[in-house]
Amino acid sequence: MQTMAHVAFGVYAFIILAGAILAVASASLVRALVGLITTLLGVAGMYLLLASPFLAFMQLLIYVGAVSVMIFFAVMLTHAQTGGDESAPAPVRKFLLAAAGAAVPALVLGGLLYHRGVSGAAKPAVVGVEKLGTGLLGAYVLPFELISVILMVAMCAAVLLVWEKRGKRK
Amino acid sequence: MMNAIDVHMLIRLIIAVVAAMAWVGINALVLVYCERKFAGHIQRRPGPFEVGPHGILQPLADGLKLMGKQLFRPAGADAFLFWLAPMLSLLPVLLLFLPIPYGPMLTAMNVSLGILLILAFSSLNVLALLLAGWSSNNKWGILGAARAVSQSVAYEIPLLLSVLAVTFMTGSFNLSAISTSQGAWPWQWNLMAQPLAFFIYLVSAFGETNRAPFDLAEAESELTAGFHTEYSSMGFGLFFMAEYAYMVVVCSVCTVLFLGGFRGPVADGWWWFLAKTYALLFLMIWVRWTYPRVRFDQLLNINWKWLLPLAVFNLLATAFVMKL
Repeated sequence: MQTMAHVAFGVYAFIILAGAILAVASASLVRALVGLITTLLGVAGMYLLLASPFLAFMQLLIYVGAVSVMIFFAVMLTHAQTGGDESAPAPVRKFLLAAAGAAVPALVLGGLLYHRGVSGAAKPAVVGVEKLGTGLLGAYVLPFELISVILMVAMCAAVLLVWEKRGKRK
Repeated sequence: MMNAIDVHMLIRLIIAVVAAMAWVGINALVLVYCERKFAGHIQRRPGPFEVGPHGILQPLADGLKLMGKQLFRPAGADAFLFWLAPMLSLLPVLLLFLPIPYGPMLTAMNVSLGILLILAFSSLNVLALLLAGWSSNNKWGILGAARAVSQSVAYEIPLLLSVLAVTFMTGSFNLSAISTSQGAWPWQWNLMAQPLAFFIYLVSAFGETNRAPFDLAEAESELTAGFHTEYSSMGFGLFFMAEYAYMVVVCSVCTVLFLGGFRGPVADGWWWFLAKTYALLFLMIWVRWTYPRVRFDQLLNINWKWLLPLAVFNLLATAFVMKL
């Protein structure tokens, strides 16, 4: 179990990092989006490794299936040109600075965890869907409902924006 | 150290994925033949007749022809994404067959969140269609992709809501548990308790799989072939196989949710499962050759103005009745 978990962690971490690099380094917006999707897939794998398949599937369903498609749509609608300012190859100095910027938190956090590591549970706790559901509608009902109100407001705002445009066109 | 249980699981998974590949291939061959033969008879012509007795070897000949063709990529297309798209379309399909219970013991992996697994991984197909349409650098392609997405995203909502109504009743996402919760006889199936959900699921399934009368994404009279216009040879072949595989998955899930799965009169087993799934598949083929294609605004109106409110009403009614 231990070796399998380590191998899986390595694979998912690699997927996440590779996707992130693809997202940052590629000149084409759609390729960058594919990088983002790869990262999201890797995160779903991490959830699976943490014994929460429900979160993993929701990650796939919502982020990979819906949100990234919406981003794709936005990219297509804005008719992004491939020859924008950001698509030119960046100078080496920028790459080095970016790498250093990414390395600092990784080194600090990694060092801290290495020297003063906390011993976690041997196996992740398994939380079933039933427990999640009762939790969301029991102890956490107020934040849960608040989120739905926020989403509702966002949706109404989106509809209202489109409404206004239509009126002006007439 | 890997212990015996892990190795056992791994071997089981590998066998299941290989079996799923074979199952996808066999189904594609059988369904292509059935589709062409059905289309022929519905239009009062014999359909394929030359290759083998009653043209039964026609799909094999088609497959060979497809494989023999040149793989072609249009100039100016994004090569990486162009070849990624057909693979991304077919690969998740192999996972979709894992949690489906073909018989009381015949399940590749008894996943407790089986239906969610299927819904999650099938959502990758939308992405594949979008990538295919965009990366072909072709206006038919991008129009087809835009249509495919607005259609799939819209029809996914009533589909999810109708599935939720059934899981409300069963209290489980496990497909085996949903199957066994239903009785052997047709009046004990979920179809009787949830006729509206069944209808909504079926209509949304046509929308989700881009099948006629909702095949706007590849409407040949307007868009040549939609998102796969530029694909030749097995690039197109993979999309084609994925489309038929998704049809099988959709019908299998429908069988489990509404038609009792492997439960049936006299003896439970995979024979009932296959019979029901193929009955649904034939219904899909029948509908395709019977109804004309709808217009795009009609397509979206059917979804947003009819299916979605009906599905929400059905879900609320189910929840209310369950609480009574």
